[in-house]
Amino acid sequence: MNSIQRLMNFFISLAMILGSILMLINPEKGYVVITVILSLGLVFSGIGSILYYFKMARHMVGGKIIFIRGVIVFDLGLFTYSISDIPKIYVLMYLLIIHGFSGLVEILRAIEGKNNGQKRWKLKLSHGVLDFSLALVCLFVIHSVQFTVMIYCFGVFYSALVRMASAFRKTEIVYIQ
Amino acid sequence: MQEDFHYYATYCAAFIAGYTHEECMDICYSAQFVDLCSKSFLSGIGAPLSAATTQLQLELMDVRTDIIGLQDITRIWASFHFLPKDLYAVKKWCSKKYINKYRLICGPNGELLAETVKLAKNTSLQAVGTAMHVLADTWAHMYFAGTPSLVINNTDYYFYELIPEGDGYTEKHISFKHSPKSPDNPDKCFYVGSLYQMNENSIMNLGHGRAGHLPDYSFIHYKYLPAWNGYKEVVKDNPSDYYKAFCQMVYAMKYLRGDIDSFKTDTYAYDEVAPYEGRIKEILNTRQLSVSEDFKKFGEELSGRVIEKFDVNKYKEEYVSSSGNDKDKTFLGKFIIAALSQKSMVTNKIYKSGNRLAGVSVDYKSKGFKGIKDFAKLISLRRNWDE
Repeated sequence: MNSIQRLMNFFISLAMILGSILMLINPEKGYVVITVILSLGLVFSGIGSILYYFKMARHMVGGKIIFIRGVIVFDLGLFTYSISDIPKIYVLMYLLIIHGFSGLVEILRAIEGKNNGQKRWKLKLSHGVLDFSLALVCLFVIHSVQFTVMIYCFGVFYSALVRMASAFRKTEIVYIQ
Repeated sequence: MQEDFHYYATYCAAFIAGYTHEECMDICYSAQFVDLCSKSFLSGIGAPLSAATTQLQLELMDVRTDIIGLQDITRIWASFHFLPKDLYAVKKWCSKKYINKYRLICGPNGELLAETVKLAKNTSLQAVGTAMHVLADTWAHMYFAGTPSLVINNTDYYFYELIPEGDGYTEKHISFKHSPKSPDNPDKCFYVGSLYQMNENSIMNLGHGRAGHLPDYSFIHYKYLPAWNGYKEVVKDNPSDYYKAFCQMVYAMKYLRGDIDSFKTDTYAYDEVAPYEGRIKEILNTRQLSVSEDFKKFGEELSGRVIEKFDVNKYKEEYVSSSGNDKDKTFLGKFIIAALSQKSMVTNKIYKSGNRLAGVSVDYKSKGFKGIKDFAKLISLRRNWDE
């Protein structure tokens, strides 16, 4: 990672932390922001796929499917944005899958770490249990906008912290004498 | 390749090359250990994590595929399991990003293979074993790259097993299932492969994941369309490739023992292996997922000694109970040095080719020391060897 990428990561993390705090302060408006973020995500993902096709996938067997997918996702993003009111159930499903899966992986990694004699397996286990619990909470708060926003903000906040930590990670330089 | 070739067949090759039973055991243990020396293992014994030669399934699921994560993955998989054949390969009308991945495609008899074998000369038996793992995998893993890449490593519907029948072959279509807990079943042409993920850097697109374990089975003969080959099919004849790998290992180890003055690529010890050709080919063509028992029996007949089962924890206690510099003299200590050397050499070659996918490599003599200290061990040891 070069210094510009590190700086970029640092500022994106700051923006994510600020954004999650602002959404927490006003959950009703925060929910609208979340849905807009999700639809913008689709738009940018579509653009990303189209660029990826021209840069790399056009040399790949069956690469055209990526171009077609890009156009469809881009279109879907614009369509979603124009509706601007995504049913809450989709947002919750998204949160449930993200937290449930990463929680499960963390728990399995903690068990593996314990078997290998690692010292930090308890931290991993508690992290995994927390993530998995959040996924379960999503199941029970389907009708509460406030909880949905809170859980989403927690996820954004956590990703921001990880991104920031990554911005300060040392590059492993391999030496040749 | 798996334990049958990396452990038992490597033992046989080392014995034919002239090593003693004890030396063969150290070599084949090291060759197999390359598939088990993960960060989780190293962390458990307090060893430098940069010496990791593999990543376990759960480690891969947990890994971040940002730039630093990708470089770490590439350093491990390109250095030990998918040695690039040609770091300066050319393909017209491609972006720099594409060509950087294209140049990491693994294949036998590349310049890096010669460097790998030469690096193991006059060092340790652990280094010999590590080099033999890398050499053997260049045959099994050819056409795939040791970095996550959809545009290089993807496979599609066009995938057929070629089953010998009479003088020719019958074709049987292979469709991969993503069901990690179900074992492969060659009789029903049921094979497990990684999930299709459209993300270029998804871990599912690392190495031969999309083609399942097919490249690791010695008996299989198949044809498919590699993602990078412009709709031209490739025929992979594993029994023939594995036999060449075996003969090349014997040749390389004869060089490492000092019986041959120089190592040349595309050279094989066919004459030395000729008395055993029928037996080896018979084992390689046996239609089963592992031929460990057959190679074990063959190895024990060759040496007249028992080849003990591989035990990942065999040398753990010796390393843990040693202190300070004595750790470097233990079995695992020597393996760690061999692993760091190999990773350092391959990363340097990739970096010098203008490709940053494996990270940054620095000339210590002109730039001094920066970054994580694991590789400092290598510098001080090399200095001692020079003196």
